[in-house]
Amino acid sequence: MLFFKPLTGIIVLALVMIQGCAFSRGTLGEDIRSESVAAIKKATTTKAEVLDLLGAPDRLLQVNGRDVFQYYRYDAKVGSLLLILVNFSRVSIKSDDLFVILNRDGIVEDVILSKRTDGLNFRFWPFGE
Amino acid sequence: MKLPLSGVCLMLLVAIMCVSSAGCNVVRITLNTPLTPNDVAFVVPGQTTLADVIAKLGTPDSITESNTGVVATYRFLDMKYSRINFGWLLKPFSPVDTDLIISRTGFGTDALELLCDSNWVVTHQSFLRRLSDQRFNPNPF
Repeated sequence: MLFFKPLTGIIVLALVMIQGCAFSRGTLGEDIRSESVAAIKKATTTKAEVLDLLGAPDRLLQVNGRDVFQYYRYDAKVGSLLLILVNFSRVSIKSDDLFVILNRDGIVEDVILSKRTDGLNFRFWPFGE
Repeated sequence: MKLPLSGVCLMLLVAIMCVSSAGCNVVRITLNTPLTPNDVAFVVPGQTTLADVIAKLGTPDSITESNTGVVATYRFLDMKYSRINFGWLLKPFSPVDTDLIISRTGFGTDALELLCDSNWVVTHQSFLRRLSDQRFNPNPF
């Protein structure tokens, strides 16, 4: 008769209990390249040069009498742990946003960039933070 | 502790019977990092500039113009969904798939809005909704 040691039994039980796991990812928009953003100089770069470097903006705003080009990218990572009795899933979505503020002469006044997606990880556990 | 083969086989058989689907689902969707009043406690209306806020919180999700200046909005979401299928308990005994499902979703959508004057100084700040820390609660009643 074949016998299982306790550790083997636990491993077999764990393998049976875990039906599977899933990793999924979705992105919206192109990656905002840091080199292109670094090439934009305040009080020097023109609107045409910004368009040449980054392409057409995702959103064009008029704020305080200035044109603001907004570029964004969304990244979503989904981790699922599929057990027999219960499934746990966690979807984490973060965005990169770039605002290029142009003055009335079409010269870059300010550049604001946040890359939140760099620290985005796959997470499974839905509880806690 | 030693498990006889028949015990393991029985355990595997029960487990395989149960594998058809899970009885409970717990899902959480987080969009951006949820902000709390503590995170924006450093904002002093009339003194703090939008640049100071961006340095701490990153860029806002949108900037729009208002009659008195600019509105910067940080949006975030912390959605919690839980579901229990009581019909799953009958699966080993019933020839048909029975479902008795209860579920509940809490859309934890919120936004921080900062009203700035024409010099980009924050004049007002407020959360759209004041969400308390929601729990996973599948009871819809």
